[in-house]
Amino acid sequence: MKILVCIKQVPDMESRFKLNSDGTWYDETDLAFRMNEYDEYAVEQAVQLKEQLGGEPEITVLSIGPDRVVEAMKKALAMGADRGVHIQDPKYYQKDPWQIASAIARHAASQNYDLVFTGMQSQDRGSAQVGVTVAEILGFACATTLVGFSYDNGVITAKRELEGGTKGVAKLKLPAVVTCQLGLNTPRYPTLPNIMKAKKKEIAVQPIAELLQEEELTATARMYPPARKGGGIVIEGDVKDQIEKLFGILKEKTTVLRAA
Amino acid sequence: MFLELTEEQKLIQDTARNFAKAELEPLAAKLDREDDRPAFLANLKKLAELGFMGLNVESAYGGSEAGVVAFSVAMTEIARACASTAVTVSVNNMVCEVIQAVGSTEQKETYIPRICSGQYPAGAFALTETGAGSDPAGMTTTAELHNDHWVLNGSKIFITSAPYAGVFVVWAVTDKSAPKGKGISCFLVEQGAPGLVVGKQEEKTGQHASATCELIFDNCRIPRGALMGKLNDGFRIAVAELCGGRIGIGSLGLGVGLAAMDYATRYATERVQFGQKICNFQAIQWMIADAYTELEAARLLLMQAAYRKESGKSFAKEASMAKMYATEAANRACYSAVQMLGGYGYTKDFPVERYARDARITAIYEGTNEIQRIVISREILRNFA
Ligand SMILES: Cc1cc2nc3c(=O)[nH]c(=O)nc-3n(C[C@H](O)[C@H](O)[C@H](O)COP(=O)(O)OP(=O)(O)OC[C@H]3O[C@@H](n4cnc5c(N)ncnc54)[C@H](O)[C@@H]3O)c2cc1C
Repeated sequence: MKILVCIKQVPDMESRFKLNSDGTWYDETDLAFRMNEYDEYAVEQAVQLKEQLGGEPEITVLSIGPDRVVEAMKKALAMGADRGVHIQDPKYYQKDPWQIASAIARHAASQNYDLVFTGMQSQDRGSAQVGVTVAEILGFACATTLVGFSYDNGVITAKRELEGGTKGVAKLKLPAVVTCQLGLNTPRYPTLPNIMKAKKKEIAVQPIAELLQEEELTATARMYPPARKGGGIVIEGDVKDQIEKLFGILKEKTTVLRAA
Repeated sequence: MFLELTEEQKLIQDTARNFAKAELEPLAAKLDREDDRPAFLANLKKLAELGFMGLNVESAYGGSEAGVVAFSVAMTEIARACASTAVTVSVNNMVCEVIQAVGSTEQKETYIPRICSGQYPAGAFALTETGAGSDPAGMTTTAELHNDHWVLNGSKIFITSAPYAGVFVVWAVTDKSAPKGKGISCFLVEQGAPGLVVGKQEEKTGQHASATCELIFDNCRIPRGALMGKLNDGFRIAVAELCGGRIGIGSLGLGVGLAAMDYATRYATERVQFGQKICNFQAIQWMIADAYTELEAARLLLMQAAYRKESGKSFAKEASMAKMYATEAANRACYSAVQMLGGYGYTKDFPVERYARDARITAIYEGTNEIQRIVISREILRNFA
């Protein structure tokens, strides 16, 4: 089995963001970067599957971006991926999800992958489109927002999170793309010996131009922080009502009740 | 000149930081107040499984082969969350390194993997005695060869991890007639050896979760093969290994100082007096500027000492400078942090009083800072003689 995991490196979400000089993206100097949280679930699930299958599958980790993304790739290699493909693109943020997905699909087309894992979305852009679009271009089966994954004999059973907290179960035959959501698993810490060993794993480098020739289809005109709004939400009613409303908001709008 | 960590060192720092935040920090205040050894040891076991007990140890013995710079940054991250855990990790690394440096192949293959894997929660370094602290060559614990056994008599004090250490590196006098420091040898003593008694546990100011105990040798019998390194060459080993340990303790101090300042600085951006945030007062701003500048200088000294050790250069002077400066900068940072929180800083509702207590010992153990100054000035004066 050949597995592809697509990861993105994003700024630490606790950073203080500033706009870049032309106001079209954030200024990257002084930001600390890390692996997109949802992609950590993707890497972890791929490694768990490799372990389940006795180490047979080969896991390739792919990332599009400037040279700094190699650090996130090394983490994935230290967690258990076998090899890396770095698609060099310093202007990755000017491409829309379709173009990013096209580049990934172009790479994948020649590689005969059986299974592609991605995060549900990136923490910085949040389009949630790259995974499904890759599946569409490749003609693979696809399930999104996985909170449960099992594999048996060529068939994936995917537990999906649907709107409003309901769950659905889908079965997919390989080849397939799945996108991973919080709650799917607990990503392992890479061990120090594995971090050191990852140094020897191959990371192939390919300029984006070899996979994607078309011009950007969209352009960011301007980026700006939302206007400051005063106050918050005042929850009213009797105590029981208030608690229910608060829980509802926490469940819908935040992740605090979803962990564990 | 290149001042960036390598990608591997950054990943190790990240792993230490993420682990410390998720697993160590939530427990640290509780472990300071009440004894919960199982929880403390469980985290040590996890750290061992991640490879933190033998950072500068060869993979053949279960080490991580990550080097001294990685050791330093990992210690700092662990100490930001829990100084008790950090000191245990530092001593474990030092014990692995001393065995790696002077142990026989059999000793290395037996003991280092047990510490690195977490099979032993800890190893211990037993040098200090009641009459021999800053002056360890004045020790009186003896080891005599009786047929195929060494028999140890005497006692040690302030031994970190003694109750749960699987093995102790012990120094004892093997030639009483030799000049001072020339008749001391080094031994590996297993927990449970006949005649080895773990004595009273000290009630300390800080670092409560890390046990510090007396160790008594009452006709303690160990096999003849337990001698480590050459006979009567033990004191030199102790002096050499303590230099590496100093990088660990300096890094630990830095972590505690950073934790204190990070907490206090955030507090200063929220606390309002006289109608404004207290971080608007210049007095507070200067505390922040001074503390972070000193902590940054400490970090650079530590990086230099670690880099020199990693590249096989002499590093005794640099390690002493780094240990002395970092632990004093940390203590000053903790003093300022308590000051910035005012009365709240003096209560157990806020962590800075714990940081202040935890930081205090870093200027004392692994050689007091007075002893560090002796080492530093001796090295400097040598060049003027
Ligand atoms: C929590 C804790 C954990 C420890 N863990 C270990 C361990 O795991 N293994 C181990 O072997 N030891 C350990 N120690 C012992 C520690 O290393 C010693 O306490 C330290 O070296 C100082 O020795 P002392 O306490 O006897 O002080 P002393 O040597 O009596 O020093 C008293 C004071 O005199 C000063 N002084 C002494 N000589 C000189 C001099 N020549 N010039 C100027 N000033 C001088 C000292 O700096 C100090 O200020 C630990 C201690 C503590 C408190």
